[in-house]
Amino acid sequence: MYDEIQEIKAQYPRTRSAVLPALRIAQQRYGWLTPDALREVADALDETPAFCQSVASFYDMFHLAPVGRRLVEVCTNISCALVGAQQVLEAFEQELGIRAGETTDDGQVTLRALECAGGCGWGTVVAVDHRYREPVRPEDVPAIVQEVRDGG
Amino acid sequence: MPELVTLTIDDREVQVPKGTGLVETAMGAGIEIPVFCYEPRLGPAVGACRMCLVEIEGMPKLQAGCTMTAQDGLVVRTAATSDKAAQGQNATLEFLLLNHPLDCPVCDKGGECPLQDLTFRYGPGTTRMVFPKRTFDKPIPISPTIALDRERCILCYRCTRFSEGVAEDHQLVPRNRGAQTLITTFEEEPYRAPFSGNVIELCPVGALTSTQYRFEARPWEIQNVPTVCTMCPVGCNVTVTTREGKVKRILSRNHPEVDQGWLCDKGRFAFSHLRAEDRVTQPLRRVRRRGFATISWEEALDETERVLRGAGGRIVTALSGSETIEHAYGLAKLLRTGLGAHSAVLPEETDVAIDAFRLPLSAIRGAELIVVVGDDPVAERAPVVDLWLKLARRGGAEVVTIGAAGSVLTAPGSAAQTCRELAGSGSELGRRLRESERAILIWSSPGGHGGAEIAALAGELGFAGKPGSGAFHLPATPNGRGVADAWAAASDDEGPNPEPIAVLVVSGDEAASDPHVRALAERAETVIAIVMFERVALGWADLVLPGTSYLERDGTAMNLEGRLQRLRRAAIPPVADELSWLSQLAARFGVDVSPYPAPVFEELAGTVYGGLTLGELGERAALAERAQIPAPAPDPDTEPARPSDGHYLNLLPYRPLFAGAAVERVPELQFQRPAAEVELSWDDAQRRGISSGDEVLVRSNGTSATLRARLNRRLLPGVVRIADEHARDLHATVEVTKP
Ligand code: SF4
Ligand code: SF4
Ligand code: FES
Ligand code: FES
Repeated sequence: MYDEIQEIKAQYPRTRSAVLPALRIAQQRYGWLTPDALREVADALDETPAFCQSVASFYDMFHLAPVGRRLVEVCTNISCALVGAQQVLEAFEQELGIRAGETTDDGQVTLRALECAGGCGWGTVVAVDHRYREPVRPEDVPAIVQEVRDGG
Repeated sequence: MPELVTLTIDDREVQVPKGTGLVETAMGAGIEIPVFCYEPRLGPAVGACRMCLVEIEGMPKLQAGCTMTAQDGLVVRTAATSDKAAQGQNATLEFLLLNHPLDCPVCDKGGECPLQDLTFRYGPGTTRMVFPKRTFDKPIPISPTIALDRERCILCYRCTRFSEGVAEDHQLVPRNRGAQTLITTFEEEPYRAPFSGNVIELCPVGALTSTQYRFEARPWEIQNVPTVCTMCPVGCNVTVTTREGKVKRILSRNHPEVDQGWLCDKGRFAFSHLRAEDRVTQPLRRVRRRGFATISWEEALDETERVLRGAGGRIVTALSGSETIEHAYGLAKLLRTGLGAHSAVLPEETDVAIDAFRLPLSAIRGAELIVVVGDDPVAERAPVVDLWLKLARRGGAEVVTIGAAGSVLTAPGSAAQTCRELAGSGSELGRRLRESERAILIWSSPGGHGGAEIAALAGELGFAGKPGSGAFHLPATPNGRGVADAWAAASDDEGPNPEPIAVLVVSGDEAASDPHVRALAERAETVIAIVMFERVALGWADLVLPGTSYLERDGTAMNLEGRLQRLRRAAIPPVADELSWLSQLAARFGVDVSPYPAPVFEELAGTVYGGLTLGELGERAALAERAQIPAPAPDPDTEPARPSDGHYLNLLPYRPLFAGAAVERVPELQFQRPAAEVELSWDDAQRRGISSGDEVLVRSNGTSATLRARLNRRLLPGVVRIADEHARDLHATVEVTKP
């Protein structure tokens, strides 16, 4: 990873610009940004782990805790909220048996609430492993959950 | 002359240089724009808290005053004349208090809290917050010296901006976003950095507090004494908070030319050494096999007199660089004029040559090119100077460090040689230094002949004629120069070095901890030590007289700029201070030493400081003009640098900032002391199959140490760095292996 990050670093005039892509590489490799992963990124960029963690914590796309194999994210920002994002989120919670921010006991699915996903015209936006489903209504939820559980 | 602009604030016309911050502009006119997050020393305003809302004519919404600068024709209304601004500030405070606990009665900040004060002046008198507030575990230890009460935090980001943008340690950071943000360190590791304590002072609420000061005093019970830190040669101006005569905390006292209001953690937290359990509070006499026995002052003075009289002038005096000038002078006068004992071990060499290139430390900020020569990190020798360098670099200055771990790598111990090269015609960097009008040289290494080396370079580069260019020598001791002046002022006579030594007088814990002084002690028949801590003198001193700390002394000290500064007694020492008994002792030898520092200063200042008086020094001492003296010729025989042959490595020991008898006695500072580590260059580590964290054996002729390896990518291959307390008896070349 060290060398990979050096390559990215070389593309920017300032090291700091490489923090986001470097964090993405680390997340891809470890699944989430473990403290050791953050230390590795920091070492490669000559930054502190605290700084890297601070940056990562700002973005919803970075995980600072373990996540399930599959990731279901529901946008609850303003446009989606207006068309019932809360009900969609609750439907997921009921169907999966967990609260937003949690992972199912079998470690298969993580459910999260998300800030604006950039698809405001088609709310409520739901992202399954970063693929958007839009618009989603509460009644669509059981089918999506089934599909996720089946590995689709 | 910058362009002046005219604007109106609260119907008052004000004229200021264009670009002056609106907050300062108003302040200059006696109008308050209240702030929380605004702090110009932290860099550009961020507008995080909205406390500073003002109404500006022509702008539909309230503006954050702290983000604006004075412009011609601006019409500003603060809460004093604008209802809209008053309502805005009132609402801001209501929001800030939404989750803020009402625990002022048990909050350490209470009584000196900007949030409390501004709520009183601008905020709502009642709360509509009838819901439960957010709570957290508390207090969270940010480090052994800093505690965080998270629910009190108003997210002004002063602390994290300091960490990121002033100290540049990037350790205290915000986590998450918006209202969910938390101030934290990585994985709850302690905030371990030389300047961490400044965040306590910056925090405008009681969120970040000092663990030493928590629940120790209320603001109306305390007394603040302005004095100067003499834990290192910077001499930061400080305010010492005392309660019932005991020191409770140390705060900065902004001297804009010296410290800009920042302190290092050693200066801020080390004061509890005053209450060390092995503090000497009575004179002690060595008793065979039983350590020390307490004796009375009368006995002690009799014994000292007897020993000194019996020495027949064969006396050597070892002084510490942490003495005040007055104290050193009192001792010097007694021994030199009363006993003809002219042989001294001075704390370090000092040379007036550097005075020809004198500048205030603040000049570093304005420089365009700064060259630091030497192997020691500036932060370890003179911490606050490092903050000035960082500020200069952020402002666009080029900072070149030349040493074994510098931006330009040279063999250890080659600082003098570097100076020679920079002076030569072949050096490109030397040419640029010569051409610049604002260039600064800094010597950060042992040696250097008390500043003569760097002064010689400055002379050759033509700095004498350039008021913006100058040179600093970073000494090893806080007031070595003042002590040398005091010694010189006491007598013009000279004497031979006595052999054998009948009596060795060791003044101060610093000298008493010096291995060279200890070696002398072995050759002396009798050793008299004036120390604060018993363990320092145990086993080798015959007679121990109690010493005092800089916080307990009145007097003066000279810092690395050559600035004479005034120390004031903040705490009453548990023992008679040195001058008072020195005066009595001197009288027995017919020598007149005043027990009070002011007349002592007057006496010596007549000889060495041109008749200056204490009153003239003032609370924020000015720097004397540059001296008109020709630069010395460079010393022709510089020590040759030691090349490495790959197998053996050159040991570069260094004296860490967090070291010394005082720091060792402060429990809260133990985590700051250097770990038992050896720093290796990347190449050397790879070649030996060593990675960071490995346990390694460092060996040299007959001695060895087991240390943890740390890779330092900046270190010159062939060199290892070890803090001197861990390097102990290792020789100059070592072998490093994995056991
Ligand atoms: S801890 Fe204090 S200084 Fe830091 S953000 Fe909170 S209120 Fe501001
Ligand atoms: S930098 Fe030196 S003078 Fe300033 S607080 Fe630290 S030890 Fe004291
Ligand atoms: S608010 Fe949901 S996508 Fe923008
Ligand atoms: S002081 Fe202006 S926004 Fe904080």
